[in-house]
Amino acid sequence: MNPITLPDVRHPRGPRPVWGMKLPVLLVMLVMFAASGCGATPPAWFRLNMVEATKQKLTPEQERQVATVISAMFGTPDDPVALPETGLDEAKLRLAAGPVRSDIVGRKNGLYREHCAHCHGVTGDALGPTAAFLNPYPRDYRPGIFKFKSTERADKPTHADLTRVLKNGIPGTSMPSFALLSETQIDALVEYVKYLSIRGETEIGLIRAIFELDDEAEGKLPESREFLVGERLAEVVEKWKAADTALIDVPEMPADIDLVESIAKGRELFYGDKANCVKCHGPTALGDGQANDYDDWNKYVVDWTTKEINGESDTQWVNRAHRVLDGDALKPRTIQPRNLRRGIYRGGRRPLDLYYRIHAGINGAPMPGAKGTVPPEDIWHIVNYVQSLPYELDGELGADRPMVARDRF
Amino acid sequence: MDQDKRNRDAGSGGNPPGDTWVDGLPQGRRWSGIGWSLLFLLVPVLGTATFVIAPYYNHWLPKDVSVHGRSIDDLFYFILVLTGVIFLATELILFWFMWKYDAAASSKPATYIHGSHALEVVWTIIPAATMLFLAIYQMNTWADIKMRRPRMSPSAEVVARQFEWRIRYPGRDETLGTPDDLFVVNDLHVPIDEDFLIQLKSMDVLHSFFLPNLRMKQDAVPGMKQPVWFKATETGTYDIVCAEVCGWGHYKMKGRVTVESRADFDRWLARIEAEQKATQRGPDEIPMAAAD
Amino acid sequence: MPTCSRSERSALADDLPMAARFGLLPSLGLGVLLVAVGSGCGDNRIRQPVVDGGAVEKLRTELVSSTGAANGGEAEDSAATGTGWGTLKGRFVFAGTPAEAKALIVDKDTEVCSKDGGRLLDRSLLVDPSTKGLANVVVFVRKSSRVKESAPADAPLVFDQKQCEFITPVFAARVGQEIDVHNSDPVGHNTNIAGTSFNQLIPAGNGTLFKPAAETAMPTAVTCNIHPWMKAYIVFRKDGYVGVSAADGSFTIPDLPAGELLEFQVWHERSIGPNQALGLAEPDLKWSSKGRFQVKIEADEVKDIGTLEVPATALGG
Repeated sequence: MNPITLPDVRHPRGPRPVWGMKLPVLLVMLVMFAASGCGATPPAWFRLNMVEATKQKLTPEQERQVATVISAMFGTPDDPVALPETGLDEAKLRLAAGPVRSDIVGRKNGLYREHCAHCHGVTGDALGPTAAFLNPYPRDYRPGIFKFKSTERADKPTHADLTRVLKNGIPGTSMPSFALLSETQIDALVEYVKYLSIRGETEIGLIRAIFELDDEAEGKLPESREFLVGERLAEVVEKWKAADTALIDVPEMPADIDLVESIAKGRELFYGDKANCVKCHGPTALGDGQANDYDDWNKYVVDWTTKEINGESDTQWVNRAHRVLDGDALKPRTIQPRNLRRGIYRGGRRPLDLYYRIHAGINGAPMPGAKGTVPPEDIWHIVNYVQSLPYELDGELGADRPMVARDRF
Repeated sequence: MDQDKRNRDAGSGGNPPGDTWVDGLPQGRRWSGIGWSLLFLLVPVLGTATFVIAPYYNHWLPKDVSVHGRSIDDLFYFILVLTGVIFLATELILFWFMWKYDAAASSKPATYIHGSHALEVVWTIIPAATMLFLAIYQMNTWADIKMRRPRMSPSAEVVARQFEWRIRYPGRDETLGTPDDLFVVNDLHVPIDEDFLIQLKSMDVLHSFFLPNLRMKQDAVPGMKQPVWFKATETGTYDIVCAEVCGWGHYKMKGRVTVESRADFDRWLARIEAEQKATQRGPDEIPMAAAD
Repeated sequence: MPTCSRSERSALADDLPMAARFGLLPSLGLGVLLVAVGSGCGDNRIRQPVVDGGAVEKLRTELVSSTGAANGGEAEDSAATGTGWGTLKGRFVFAGTPAEAKALIVDKDTEVCSKDGGRLLDRSLLVDPSTKGLANVVVFVRKSSRVKESAPADAPLVFDQKQCEFITPVFAARVGQEIDVHNSDPVGHNTNIAGTSFNQLIPAGNGTLFKPAAETAMPTAVTCNIHPWMKAYIVFRKDGYVGVSAADGSFTIPDLPAGELLEFQVWHERSIGPNQALGLAEPDLKWSSKGRFQVKIEADEVKDIGTLEVPATALGG
């Protein structure tokens, strides 16, 4: 056999490399490199509430004034300011604010942006990059409405309520548990959520105040301390301060309550005309009763679209409004009444939590409160019935016939 | 062999020294031959150094606190040594060949051979036998951690979801799916020196339930119940992590497993139970303003 | 042998300038495209107002420095500018032919809600066919210096619902006045007053008391989540100076403080103005696009601002 001859692999001496070919390639690479550079992070800033501003037809000058005023009152995401009147602890805010980093003693800073901002947004407007993919959408703190709390429906949650939500997460939604963060960190985050909420609600108040202006004001908000802090900020802060004294009064569940009997009574109430749970949660309690309603956050967008944008003749404004809807609002979704057979309780699974929900309803959601119309003892019966719903009631219930969950996997 | 000889003859005849292309090379060519072989010698040297240094930088196996972890670690070390020796040998041979047959140093032309049947048989059979040995050798360990499930009802259920671990204990009746079940998130508690059987589920996508210190890793598959069991041997708190990229928040799926004495574990369960049955606010839920 | 012969190479080399010329244009094009795409990864949303850092700092210094309590809180011009009381009246007529009211979709509790085949109609535009009077226009005082004290109502106002309809489509009450939110139906309702966080179950034939705590800047929607077609509006004012036009379009607000220039806000559910404010072309009353007009009433005067024509376009066509 002949020896194998390999091809001549020596480098050809022939033509010199021709730059004409490589130049375009280099150029393209350069451009790509430059283009990738637009991901560089500019300093974080709070976004003006464009939906409300456009809804109230603010002029650019008015938008600028609101942005200036709110910035003076609350600072920026990197540099939050808490006026003493807010009652917020600026040291806690600083722990949660700013970019994610460790300070000189190795303590973690920028907690909000590490854990929350990708859904709730830097502004707390629920417009973070992942928000649109979640169902339900993350909470927009700006209207100052919170669902899961131990206070009466119209009141703000207490610090402990928000802490519980952070620790337990909200099962059934995309909100995970942050139970493994330290108490200091959770505390800082709760404080920061309050800060964003107060800021957002004050901002909405300022924007709405423009409509309320007298004609002499020529569309310019007064920039006096008395108006900004004394009126607009105080109105919001007062509600937060009042939360601690607005706790729902929960009477003790009767000690001698017979569970089987109580569940039967609760069932009666569930289907009855008084509590009327069946109308929304459905006759099977699968949450299929009322499926075309919206929660407050979505209703706000729906109402604006159907009532105002669609009836408006100023096409320029309508175009702008549609751009605002695209960029500053999420596509509205209907709200589903809870499927009570799954055993997933968003606001907590303790009987106490269910009592709160039934007593006060769920603020922001269509769920009405039974306060005043259903006596406390009956609310306990409903609680017991609701807690029994995820389990098969196999005929008669008794000590020798335990309830067994249906297995859904 | 004849073949070799012929090759050599043909080579020396066909490619005389002093051909133009050799002249064209820079003067430092002698160095380049040594340089390249030394550079490739760095592979086994640095490779070994990495493994030697790693434990000092805490980049080694986490502390093993499980019963079956020992046999897994032994397997790991055994395979590491086996592959390590082969790796070193291969790399050194590669280095030696590069050094010895540097084109610049040796004027001997390359020879081309068709191959050696006997050699190929040898280097196929040895790895195959090794693999077969490993496959048989590890069977007992595999069976211990994945097949010989302790005969008991689940001690807890872990449901993975984006992005947390929802844990359910069966409560007093020791049966999951009854109203006295206890629910916690991300915080698994386990009694020491007892078999612990977890029923693993996923609510949404693939996750992987990974307990590094307990040498336990199991994919959580939507629609399936996976049994996971272990016996912890040392008290302390250890990590639970997700070992399957499950979405943008994968990094958030960090939990904690606490190994504690039976008494502590029961106390903890009782606390969770009391908390979960609460019909009144706990002390931390009453704001100071309202407490007055 | 797959070797590139010298001649092939040189041929390629000869072609190169050509290739370069053709290669440059598309790659430049690609570059431009990339720049376009690259710039797209910026913010595509409505541009935000640019804030002047100096102005922010200045304002903040003012807000922080004057931490003192009262910094000359301008005393409300409560100096009584008059003593007597007057009445304002007027009438709204609809200039145009209203489209026939749409029937509401009633798909729940039909045995009660569409009893005897009765249909529920959309009540957002109620025009009296004979007088053309426009009902449910709300007129209220924006700010008044004094309020005529009247004997406190001994019974709460009743806000009732019957046959799955709120009886009063537009309801007005004073802040702090007790309202009996009632349900005269044999089915359960819930009453959800937007913006007040009041949302309670109202069992059949029963009622619950509600005391509004704050003014509403404009009438706010009242709904029932169980029966989504049910809708009404409610307005709470501290001074209670609210007039709602009746079926013939007329309204009356009595006991207004006399001798001062009062500014009124006008609202209608269908109005396309900002926040549903009803703007009219009434220059005599300085009627603005924000739906406000100004009137001064003398003591014991019954000021009639006459018949006010509401064009169909003001109510969305």
